[in-house]
Amino acid sequence: MKQFAAWLSTTSLSVYIQHHNSWVIPAIQSIHIIGIGVVLGSVFMICLRILGSAGMDQTLRQTTSRFSPWLTSGLCLMLVTGVLMVIGEPVRELITFSFWLKMFLVAVSTLIAAIFQVNLRKQERRWEEILVKRRSIRGLAVLTFVIWLCIIILGRLIAYDHVWGSWSPATKA
Amino acid sequence: MDIEALLKTLEASGLATKIRDSLFLFPLIESTHVIGLALVFGTIAIIDLRLLGIASTQRSFERMASDIFKWTWAAFALTALTGSLMFITNAPVYYHNLFFRTKMLLLALTGINMLFLELTARRTIHGWDQAPSAPRTGKAVAVLSLAMWIGIICMGRLIGFTTSRAAAAPPPPAGVNFDDFLQGAPNDPPK
Repeated sequence: MKQFAAWLSTTSLSVYIQHHNSWVIPAIQSIHIIGIGVVLGSVFMICLRILGSAGMDQTLRQTTSRFSPWLTSGLCLMLVTGVLMVIGEPVRELITFSFWLKMFLVAVSTLIAAIFQVNLRKQERRWEEILVKRRSIRGLAVLTFVIWLCIIILGRLIAYDHVWGSWSPATKA
Repeated sequence: MDIEALLKTLEASGLATKIRDSLFLFPLIESTHVIGLALVFGTIAIIDLRLLGIASTQRSFERMASDIFKWTWAAFALTALTGSLMFITNAPVYYHNLFFRTKMLLLALTGINMLFLELTARRTIHGWDQAPSAPRTGKAVAVLSLAMWIGIICMGRLIGFTTSRAAAAPPPPAGVNFDDFLQGAPNDPPK
C-alpha cells in the first residue's frame, strides 16, 4: 500500500493537486462536506419517517423516492471528491487506520441501504405501514444513521490518525 | 474588559487547556461539529428546495417546517457549542482570522435572511402553503440561504487551513509516567 501511495503521488493529477494545494484541497474538502450534508440530511429524513417522527403525511415510499435521488447524487459527489483527495494526498489518506475502517463502514451502510430499497420495492403498498412498525426495521434505520455518524467521525479522524495509537500505520516509521 | 483580554482569559481557561492537552478531545469535538453542520445544512436545504419549488412540491410548507425546524435548531445548538469549544482553545488566533470573521458575518446574515422570510412570505403562508413553490420573496430568501450556507462551509474549512493548532502544554521535564502518553497532541495544523 505504501508503494501504491508513493506511485499515486507521482501521477500528473496528483502532482497538479499538490502544486495547487493551497486552494484545491480546501475546495475539494468543502464540496465533500456539502455532500455529507446532502447525504446525512436524506438519511436522517428517511430514518425519521420510519420512526414515525417526520413526514407522516407521506407514505414511506413517497419519502424514499423524494430523498433517494439526492442520497445517490450526494454519494456520487462524495465518491468523486473522496477519490480526488486520495489522489491529491495518497499517503495522508491511505496510510491510516481511520480511512480503511471508514471504507468498511461505507460498504456496510451501502449494502443495508440497497437491501432496504430492494425489499421496499417488492412490498405491496398496504404492507408499508406494517413494515415500519416492525422493530427490526426501526432498529436498522437507527443503526444506519449511527453508522453514518461513525463514518463522518472517521473521516475527520484521518487528519488525526495518531488517536489510534499503535493501530495507526501513520505512527509507525 | 477589552476584547483582547477576554480572548486571553478564554484561552487560559481550564476547559480550553483540557481540550488542548487531550489527544482525542479536539478531533472528537471537530467531528461532532461536522455532524451538526451536516444536519443544519441538510435540513435547511430541504426547506430551501421546497421554497424554490424544486423538491417536496406536493407537501404543505407548514407541515414540513414543523417536521424539520426543531431538528435544524437542535443541530445548530450542537454546532454552536462544539464551535465555541474549538474557538476557546485558540481564541486570539481565530478571532483575528479573516475566514473566521467572514464566517461569523455570513452566520449573522443567514439569521437576518431567516427573519426576513418570517416577516414577508411566511405572513401570507395560507395563500401558498399547498402551492408547489413560495412567492418571489420566499424564493429569493431560499437562494440566498443556500449560497450563504455553502459559503459558511467553505469558510469553516479554510479556517482549518489558515490557523495553526494551539500548542499543548509541554510535558513535565523529568520522569516518565502514564499521563505522558495520554497528553501532548502534535501541533500540526489540522487539515
